[in-house]
Amino acid sequence: NALDFSKNPDYQPRLKLTDPEHALHYNNFYELGTSKEDPFRNADKLNTDNWKVVIEGECSKPTTFDMDDLLKLEQEERIYRFRCVEGWSMVVPWIGFPLAKLLKQVQPTSKAKFVEFVSIEDSNLPGQRFRILDWPYREGLRMDEAMHPLTLMATGIYGEALPNQNGAPIRLVVPWKYGFKSSKSIVKIRLVEKQPFSSWMVATPSEYGFYSNVNPNVSHPRWSQAKERPLGSFFKQKTLMFNGYENEVAGLYKGMDLKKYF
Amino acid sequence: MTTALKVFLFSLLCSLPAWDLAWRFLNDELGANPVEFLEHHTGDWTIYFLLLTLSITPIQKFFKPNWNRWLMPMHLVRRVLGLSAFGYALLHLATYLVFDMGLSLTDSVNDIIERPFILIGMVSLILLIPLAITSTASWQKRLKRHWQTLHKAIYTLTFLGILHYALLVKADLFQPLIYLSLFAILMLLRIRFDS
Repeated sequence: NALDFSKNPDYQPRLKLTDPEHALHYNNFYELGTSKEDPFRNADKLNTDNWKVVIEGECSKPTTFDMDDLLKLEQEERIYRFRCVEGWSMVVPWIGFPLAKLLKQVQPTSKAKFVEFVSIEDSNLPGQRFRILDWPYREGLRMDEAMHPLTLMATGIYGEALPNQNGAPIRLVVPWKYGFKSSKSIVKIRLVEKQPFSSWMVATPSEYGFYSNVNPNVSHPRWSQAKERPLGSFFKQKTLMFNGYENEVAGLYKGMDLKKYF
Repeated sequence: MTTALKVFLFSLLCSLPAWDLAWRFLNDELGANPVEFLEHHTGDWTIYFLLLTLSITPIQKFFKPNWNRWLMPMHLVRRVLGLSAFGYALLHLATYLVFDMGLSLTDSVNDIIERPFILIGMVSLILLIPLAITSTASWQKRLKRHWQTLHKAIYTLTFLGILHYALLVKADLFQPLIYLSLFAILMLLRIRFDS
């Protein structure tokens, strides 16, 4: 399952990588079950054969991409911090390409203000037998967030193709936002004019906002976000503003009240 | 076998999950999120033992087993189960205070004030203390009829323990609802028999 990729020297921070044993076996992927071990245990329930990604909506060239086409794009490795809203974190080498590269191909129109991501819906997925969330899983970004150079479409992890439990065959990675914004197993990307509602916003609007930027100063209603526990570690460390990507992304939110737009 | 030995062996049996956790702790087998693992398991065992404690009365009323013959006097079975629940609750609290709060008093106080589910857990654990202390025969004699009134608090405290769990879950309420159903059944069995 090795992928063809090169290391992008701009994104090789000197951070201690999370033990892959942890990153590949401790996952939130409710389509495959709600406990952390479920996604790995039920990984074979996710069928990724003949995968296609539809890009439609406010664009001049709506396109359906075969997974093979997407893998022909230049793949690069980037090491990112990853912070879950639940208070744990990891440092992972992703392989993929910037989402902006893909979106430019479909030529978004001036009406494209937001991007909606739709994940797989399949009656064989054990988690989707229950309406724990409003299936299929939906997430969204503002257009400028989606076009940001940090925003990655990942096809691999630790040098290999994405395992099913990590969101195969293609997922989003937005490193300055809480993990649930980084949709897994994406089948559709919609360019839209109005801010979409994510599955978590529908489930618990008071706890999960559209932006969900990592912010140690804004608590989740039920727990503090000031600290995080790196996977494999007993003790916590301080959470960084925008998960350590403040220099790169703070400009996107200039003048916004981040408590209000959480 | 003497009763004292039976009590000792039964307590040892109830402490097996704790030894399992200790073994995993020492051998680095607690998984990716070791603290969450400890918190979830000690929390689950607290609720299991609370529910087991609450099931003694219904078992007695339905089956009238010969406790002494099969195990040991009923009140001793219940006492060991109740104290085990208390023990797991203490381990649960200790894990939280040491690894989540880093033993910081300010952090703990802030967390308790800000998070309703932490407050509920903490209050129910504090209220378990007088029950644990007065679980002995001498306290039972000293408190007379008040003893039973005091120990009926276990009903409310078990409910609060389950609520504490339900309030921390992100979306999937399946497990806390199972616990709540078991609790409800154990309570309903009592109502029928008391009247």
